[in-house]
Amino acid sequence: METRSFLTLEDASREDLREVLDLARAFAEGRFVDSLENKTVCLAFFEASTRTAVSFELAARRSGAHVISLSEKGSAIAKGESLIDTVVTLDRLGVDAIVLRHQAAGAAALASRHTSAPVINAGDGCGQHPTQALLDLYALSDAMGGFEGLQGRRVAVVGDVLHSRVARSVIPGFLQAGMEVALVAPLTLLPPDAESLGLPVLSSVDEALEWGADVLYMLRLQRERMAGALIPSVAEYARFYGVSRRHLESGALAMHPGPVNRGVEISGDVVLDASSLIPDQVAAGVCVRSAVLALSTGAAHRVAA
Amino acid sequence: MLQDNNSAELVIRQAHVLDPATGLDGTMDVRLSSGRVAEIGQELRGPRELDAVGLHLFPGFVDVHAHWRTPGREDEEDIQSGSAAAAAGGFTSVVMMPNTDPIVDRPVVVSGLVRRVEQESRVRAHVAAALHVGLAGERLTEMRLLKQAGAFCVSDDGLGTASAGVLRNGMLYARSAGLPVILHCEDPTLATGVVHDGVAASLAGLPGSPASAEDAATATALILAAETGAKVHITHVSTALSAALVGFFEDRADVTADTTPHHLTLTEDLVSTLEGLYRVNPPLRPDGDRGGVERALREGVLDFVATDHAPHASEEKELPIEEAAPGFLGHETALAALYTDLVLDGRLSLARLVEAMSCAPGQWVGTGGSLAVGAAADLALVDLSEEWTVGRSTLISRSSNSPYLGRTLTGRVVATIVGGEPVHDRTGARFGIRA
Repeated sequence: METRSFLTLEDASREDLREVLDLARAFAEGRFVDSLENKTVCLAFFEASTRTAVSFELAARRSGAHVISLSEKGSAIAKGESLIDTVVTLDRLGVDAIVLRHQAAGAAALASRHTSAPVINAGDGCGQHPTQALLDLYALSDAMGGFEGLQGRRVAVVGDVLHSRVARSVIPGFLQAGMEVALVAPLTLLPPDAESLGLPVLSSVDEALEWGADVLYMLRLQRERMAGALIPSVAEYARFYGVSRRHLESGALAMHPGPVNRGVEISGDVVLDASSLIPDQVAAGVCVRSAVLALSTGAAHRVAA
Repeated sequence: MLQDNNSAELVIRQAHVLDPATGLDGTMDVRLSSGRVAEIGQELRGPRELDAVGLHLFPGFVDVHAHWRTPGREDEEDIQSGSAAAAAGGFTSVVMMPNTDPIVDRPVVVSGLVRRVEQESRVRAHVAAALHVGLAGERLTEMRLLKQAGAFCVSDDGLGTASAGVLRNGMLYARSAGLPVILHCEDPTLATGVVHDGVAASLAGLPGSPASAEDAATATALILAAETGAKVHITHVSTALSAALVGFFEDRADVTADTTPHHLTLTEDLVSTLEGLYRVNPPLRPDGDRGGVERALREGVLDFVATDHAPHASEEKELPIEEAAPGFLGHETALAALYTDLVLDGRLSLARLVEAMSCAPGQWVGTGGSLAVGAAADLALVDLSEEWTVGRSTLISRSSNSPYLGRTLTGRVVATIVGGEPVHDRTGARFGIRA
């Protein structure tokens, strides 16, 4: 049974995306069950997580897998074991898939070179968070009449693009889906080559709506960025880069990978608003991650087409 | 006090008009109407005329570096007295620096100043906000909200920015906010003295700040300007090396730079007087640096002149150098000092001086600096033959800390016109202008 690691969306094709989303749909509709029977999935989370960890665990359990959870605190990592040694250990113990969340970019790729088990990147530093982008595409496809409905739609990615692994996955994902992408952030929160990416750089949510954004994809502003010299104040950030109710009056959809800083990226009254896809994004987590687990372990060939 | 006045026109007759921006150079008449330059030619007549035979007419001077001490030290200067001093020096447009008390680092302070300028200033005055909160070099100010409140640019003047990382982020953020950055380049780990670290300091037994304090910070600022793409203006360049560094980056960054009348005309020789009056930051340099800065201004490597007008109460200047506050008055003597020491000496052309005091800084600020038809009627009428002695009684500023006190200079502003209306007028009965 062929296995494959799932590390990045950088070079995913349109067909790759569609394959995952179609399989996720099959999971959601109950057309595909027990795909991971007798498999062991290790959730190696070396960084705090709520929705990603829980949804991966639910996805694995509902697919019939045995689940082992490994965290930094309760493992030999706390004793100074290196990432490679930990991965080799898991490999020799015979796990069938490793879901890795790590604080350093490139950790998932490094791990994958030291195990025959597929490695699924559940977020590595400022690098990639591919399953987040996939569940975002799933939720957005639902809201826009299917994957084909994304073609030509405009999405503004708002906030800390520079430090965001979500941005590095959703931007190529949106582009492969045929969407037009603009970045909305001060230059302190953009990569130095942002303008050379060929994406328009806009300076406020208002400007994004003038540009014609159908979707406002808000990135999380991490606390340490608020205290540093990257943005002057939460008040100024919220004023120019935060979404409030008036921004959604024209029908634009709001998305956020969570956890939300209410009143910073999104005003509190909008988070659970009708035009907010945030709950749908979370809901898509289990079926999308089930599909990713099935594809990476080779179990997906049993899917009913 | 400054307002658009559409009521009257004014014809200034037979002045020698010199404006390098438009290439005007000769005796002609200028008609001002509705606050703008309406017509330039010969035999122009109007209901209100000013006979300016024998005088020079320049685009009004523009000073991007002034400390009007408001808010907080109105005993030294305020908007009324500072703008009157500026007008007396032929300046029609000024940028006010943010190192006041409180520091101009919040939108509410900016909007308050903008409102006061509208009511109290004789000349156009732009508010520079602080680049970082409290000018402490740590947290960036809310530049976009500051801009909405009316800030014209941001600056770290007075203290500089110790951390290159903060400076880099400040430049990036300022670029996002659409604000130019005026930088005071000084490395605080090197600038530990009170005068230039040279022979005069060592003879006098005074702690010196080396030229490297300015040069290292200037190099850092220029490198970051090139990397970030920010619009950066480096103020009060005082060393030959810093001027050369600016030249190196001329085509590599969106950068301009100024030097001051005092760094162009005075040297560290004054340190031997041990008088607090002569303390200034950056310090007066050796003649080699003065000459290098002069050459850079002549060749256009340094774009223009700014005065760093810095009024201080007498109790802050009549002290030993080590205890005195740094800073000189600048508005009222700028033209005369530069005309006397550089132009009359044949070291700088009059046209380049006008370019450096009017056209180039006017272009940077975006108003004034040109006598093109349709431009704002901001002008300086100057008698280049008048000799006058700088004294406490001749200075209009509320303070009197001019390094030229007691000196007789040649060239004096006769009238200053902003938006078509006289804001400084020594023409008197001789010209019959209604002030």
